[in-house]
Amino acid sequence: MGQPGCPTAGPRPRPCGIALFLLALIPLTVASSAKSPLGRDDERFDEELVVRPLSGDHVNTYFQFTTRWHFGHKDNLYHTQLTPRVIAELLQQFDVKELHIGLTQGLWRYETWGYPIVEATSGAEMWAWFSGDNNLTDSEVNSQWSQLANVFSGVLCASLNFVDKTNSISPRHLLRPQFMPAANRKNFVRYSALPREIVCTENLTPWKKLLPCGSASGFASLLNSGHVHNTKYHSLGLKVRTLCEDNSEDNCIVELTQTANLVYDLRLFEQSSSSSSNGDFSLRRLFGMGLNGYCELAESSKMYVQRNEQGERYQLVPPPSPENEEVRSTRGGHTAIYGVYDMHEQFKDHGERLFNVAWLAPKSENRRRNMVKPTPPPLTVHRYLLGHGQERGRIATEITNSHYDALPILVQEVIPWYVHGYLHTLSVRKKPQRVNEYGRQRIPFKLLHYKPGKQRELPSHLEIGFLLPGQTSALITIDVDYLLLKWLEYPPDANHGHYIGSALVSSQLPMGRNYTALPVEGYLFRDSFNATRPSYVLSLHTEALIVSLPTPDFSMPYNVICLACTVVALAFGPIHSVATKMIIVGKPTTTTPKNFIKKLLNKVFRRGGQPAAEGAGKGAGTGAGDGEESREGAAGDAPPGESELPGTGHLDDQPLLEDLEEND
Amino acid sequence: MGLLSDPSISTQSKLVDGLARHVRKVCTVLYVAGVAWFFCLALPEFNHGTYLSENALSPGLVYPEIRVDANRLAIQLLEELQRERKDHLSTTPHAWIAAKMNEFGLETHTHNYTLRYPFGGGKEYHGKNIYGILRAPRIASTEGIVFTAPYRAASSVHTDISPSVPLLLAFADFARRKNYWAKDLIFLVTEQEQLGMQAWLEAYHDGDRDLDVSKAYLRPGNLPARAGSLQAALNIEVQDLEIDYVDVRIEGLNGKLPNLDMFNLVQRIMAREGIASGYKQTPRKKRRHSKSLFETNLRQMLAMLATQSSGVPNGNHGLFHRYRIDALTIAAHRRATHATLKGQPGSAAVPLLKAIEGIARSLNNLLERFHQSFFFYVIVNNDRYISIGDYMPALVALVACAFVKAYLMWSTLPSTEAGGELDTEERDADTDVEAEKFELPYGSVLIYLTATLLIGFLCNVLPLQQYFLEIPMGAAPLTTSVLSFLSLIGFILPFVVVLPPGGLELLHVAFLLIYGCSLIVIGLLNFALGFFVAVLTVPLVIALETKEDTSRSTLRHAIRLLALILNPMMIVYVIVLAMTFYQFPELPLQKILLRAATAAMDASAYGLIDSVLYGNFLYFVISTVLLPLWIICWTLALSKRRDYADYVEFEESPASSPQPQSPSQAKVKTS
Repeated sequence: MGQPGCPTAGPRPRPCGIALFLLALIPLTVASSAKSPLGRDDERFDEELVVRPLSGDHVNTYFQFTTRWHFGHKDNLYHTQLTPRVIAELLQQFDVKELHIGLTQGLWRYETWGYPIVEATSGAEMWAWFSGDNNLTDSEVNSQWSQLANVFSGVLCASLNFVDKTNSISPRHLLRPQFMPAANRKNFVRYSALPREIVCTENLTPWKKLLPCGSASGFASLLNSGHVHNTKYHSLGLKVRTLCEDNSEDNCIVELTQTANLVYDLRLFEQSSSSSSNGDFSLRRLFGMGLNGYCELAESSKMYVQRNEQGERYQLVPPPSPENEEVRSTRGGHTAIYGVYDMHEQFKDHGERLFNVAWLAPKSENRRRNMVKPTPPPLTVHRYLLGHGQERGRIATEITNSHYDALPILVQEVIPWYVHGYLHTLSVRKKPQRVNEYGRQRIPFKLLHYKPGKQRELPSHLEIGFLLPGQTSALITIDVDYLLLKWLEYPPDANHGHYIGSALVSSQLPMGRNYTALPVEGYLFRDSFNATRPSYVLSLHTEALIVSLPTPDFSMPYNVICLACTVVALAFGPIHSVATKMIIVGKPTTTTPKNFIKKLLNKVFRRGGQPAAEGAGKGAGTGAGDGEESREGAAGDAPPGESELPGTGHLDDQPLLEDLEEND
Repeated sequence: MGLLSDPSISTQSKLVDGLARHVRKVCTVLYVAGVAWFFCLALPEFNHGTYLSENALSPGLVYPEIRVDANRLAIQLLEELQRERKDHLSTTPHAWIAAKMNEFGLETHTHNYTLRYPFGGGKEYHGKNIYGILRAPRIASTEGIVFTAPYRAASSVHTDISPSVPLLLAFADFARRKNYWAKDLIFLVTEQEQLGMQAWLEAYHDGDRDLDVSKAYLRPGNLPARAGSLQAALNIEVQDLEIDYVDVRIEGLNGKLPNLDMFNLVQRIMAREGIASGYKQTPRKKRRHSKSLFETNLRQMLAMLATQSSGVPNGNHGLFHRYRIDALTIAAHRRATHATLKGQPGSAAVPLLKAIEGIARSLNNLLERFHQSFFFYVIVNNDRYISIGDYMPALVALVACAFVKAYLMWSTLPSTEAGGELDTEERDADTDVEAEKFELPYGSVLIYLTATLLIGFLCNVLPLQQYFLEIPMGAAPLTTSVLSFLSLIGFILPFVVVLPPGGLELLHVAFLLIYGCSLIVIGLLNFALGFFVAVLTVPLVIALETKEDTSRSTLRHAIRLLALILNPMMIVYVIVLAMTFYQFPELPLQKILLRAATAAMDASAYGLIDSVLYGNFLYFVISTVLLPLWIICWTLALSKRRDYADYVEFEESPASSPQPQSPSQAKVKTS
């Protein structure tokens, strides 16, 4: 069982057109996987753990929990067994076909660690495909998207509820569906990332609750927050997809994949340089305890231990069972060797014991030996902010192709609204990999999709495609201006800076070196064994950026300025009104003005050369004084009480006005 | 509203007239008040005790964990480095440093940069910095802190600070095994003093710049790896692992300072570790009670301002400030005697390592960039400071002289006697035509001002022209000759160009306004420079008089002499002379004069190079702001007037020495 779906008919010719290269990947192969050996109403759960020693004294442990349910018709979704109820309800309520959520702390270092099995950016990331009949509109998808985010905000205790239109985009080229898009249906995709999100225990616990066995037994029992959060990188992933057979909605599979990807730094276990170990570790060392068994609901419960590359120097205690000692996987000309521990075998006989595996490095080994720099993977990405000051800067994304041949590159950038990008400054420059500086050599775009942002509403969305020659680096720069925000828009700790989410870079590798991702039609880690394909779709994330926008000094002087400005603004209205309103002077009925403004006017008139008694009439419609009067002044130039006046005999009062204007 | 344009408020009020008669007294009072205020700041009543404003720093909250094994590692590394230094007399042992960083598990990179020296035929120098990044477990490389140690080759003329590198590496090894870092730590070893630092910073922030090879002087290249936005930096200069005291250096480029919180943090942590540390710390002196608190405070203040005024950073930290990265240098000095040694020699550097750890952990706690506390301050004592609000009044009082005088001059200008509106000349022209006796020569004054500014601009530009650079001449003689030539033009200008009647008065007003504005601007950017220039030049400005009826010719001569002495080049020479005299008191006077002359020439060349490479604006200020002002000042001091007698004299000896006109000649009025 678990055979990956048979590859498509023969290797396709490699598409040379860049715009086409990912379109060709729409996985027709998924169709075959739907005919997996799952019967109707069949539901199964698998748990897997992969341990891969990485270079630089790091260890990658990857947990994957897969629930696969052939539920058939939608009505069956009311009766869930292994699949969490929230996932089943999701499919009933929304037109979502595929959903990815990643909660990550730290950054995967491609140069030293190679490529991860699942990709994630630091912070929270979420994208989903929606598919429905022709009634599904864009705005409806938007509302479904934000509802979906709110649902998972509650389910995972993450701040996904901040996903809204100001940080969501609809990727055009970069994200490809991993379900089977039906021909007669409309498909929509939404993507959003929250780089500021901090991932912690509060996310891990609800994530574990989605598992059939919870954290009581099986591999999930190893995920203790105390140890998980002491890692250099940890990433929780959740992936849901629906696969329907023959384009019918009545014969569907829902697949929930929960992944936890951790990278341990063995040096953090050392106490001081004198007591330096030579890199031994064990499950107990990594997770604080041994394994207490397998999840009873799991169909299979296996641990894969990489034995070649960095894992070569370790001796395993206890060793894997002889028939599973060395499982070879050759993929795209690259061989990986795994030792496999089947937990069902290990815990065959009952007993109160904990299972532990130790990796022992040879004692005589010099530390310097494992300092040899690993060969970097074919494609690496970095991003940084250039320029200084709080007014403008440049976002630079650097992509290095150390493969000998040209690679097609697609880059997706989401620039938040508080940063203005200028498309005319977008440039892709290249340099040979060994040279230090970028010259003027440019790479032409093969594809450019730009959706300009809108202040406080939409982020700028940019997708670029080009062909990156071999042994070459490309630098994509775009000039940006930083916006001065309104004073209530600054988050707490305003001087920490604002985040710009990471860029997504996608490519298609011709070979499988450093490539460990699951094939699109597979759903278990072992599906990636011997999964040779014509090409391998690679997707990478860059670093996120912090920009310091012009930030006012949120201290007393600033508040004083704000208050003073408010007072000035309040005072401005009446004064402006005095200065600009047409003044009709009525007949004087009383000689003593009542309020201050009128006294002032009285004075002005006197200086105009007229006797005071004449000048200031009661209720002269200046609209200057209190609000009541100004409203009256706005309604009509004369106050209602004297509406009969202008028509009759007050023209002789007009010269007063002219005097006033002259004074101004 | 008639409040702002009320014609009844006239410039010709009695008050103004009265003040105009006593303008010198008023200005002198202001001057004295400003200087007195500055001196008062040294009194404890006028300055404040320092405090930590940023709560996130919480210095000393954690117990230092670094132990004696780190010190042992530092000693071992130092021994290795000393061996390496024997093979690398004039270069940096890059390979050794990189290997050590790799061994400690840092992500190690090298950074290459090129300097094309503009003078003397244009040589090229290549430099290389090594840096290792400790990727913090708690962050996705969005923020970083820099720890730098300059490396000086064995053949360097400066003090040997090679133990800084082992100390840095020992701390890196310790830090690598901790999982609490929430900011990437960059450990950087630079070479060639500040040039390496500058190149690294430029590469970090402007690495993509496509520089023209023929035009750019410093080509920083690009960095292979970065660590997000840099929050703070600590530069470590250690002379020996056994230290006597730590001097905390804060003055940066153009007199910029790090946040006061950062200085306080370092002071607190040093105090906790029991290290004698302070601003401008000197070896423990014998207690002398003769010096009062006031005197020590004042000395400290003046020393700080003197360092700031040149705008040259006194350590690699100073270059960070331009990028809004707060940075300072801890310069640990070698213990002179072993008499006071307390602990074991094997644990001598532990307090310093603990201090570095404490600083690093406090900076690591920072949630926001340094933004609280003060960026503009003067340190009076290690724990007392003067904020910008307290010291600015001194400068404002000095500069106010110029503005008060300008206003009074303006109100007594000949054309305004009839009471016309000043700033609305044209509009008033048709209302009261009969008021105008003669038009003020705005045009010629403007042209004259432009000419002087042009001379200043040429000072800035000419020495770097390709044509001049190709002359096989050293930087110092070239710059000096260009500067002297242009100053000479400025010197001669008032003899050649004589302004029409009323022009001098107008020029005087313009001079006072430009002078006041430029001093305020300079003072805001670099208080020390502005204040010193003001203290030196304001007396001349007060004394300067263009009225021709002053019959006191001795005063007039004195003013001219003073104006001549206050030539910027002359002042530079005098300052250098004083420093030479202070440094080499044993030399005969003639030699000192000569040595000072060469030193002054070098200083002007260094000023130019600093302005080109680092963006130091001292040269710009002197050549483009102060020199034109001096030319105008000189013109005013001469007070050449256009009348027949002058023309006759002019024809006879156009380039004669600045003989003053006789009072009788001056009395002849043109109109």
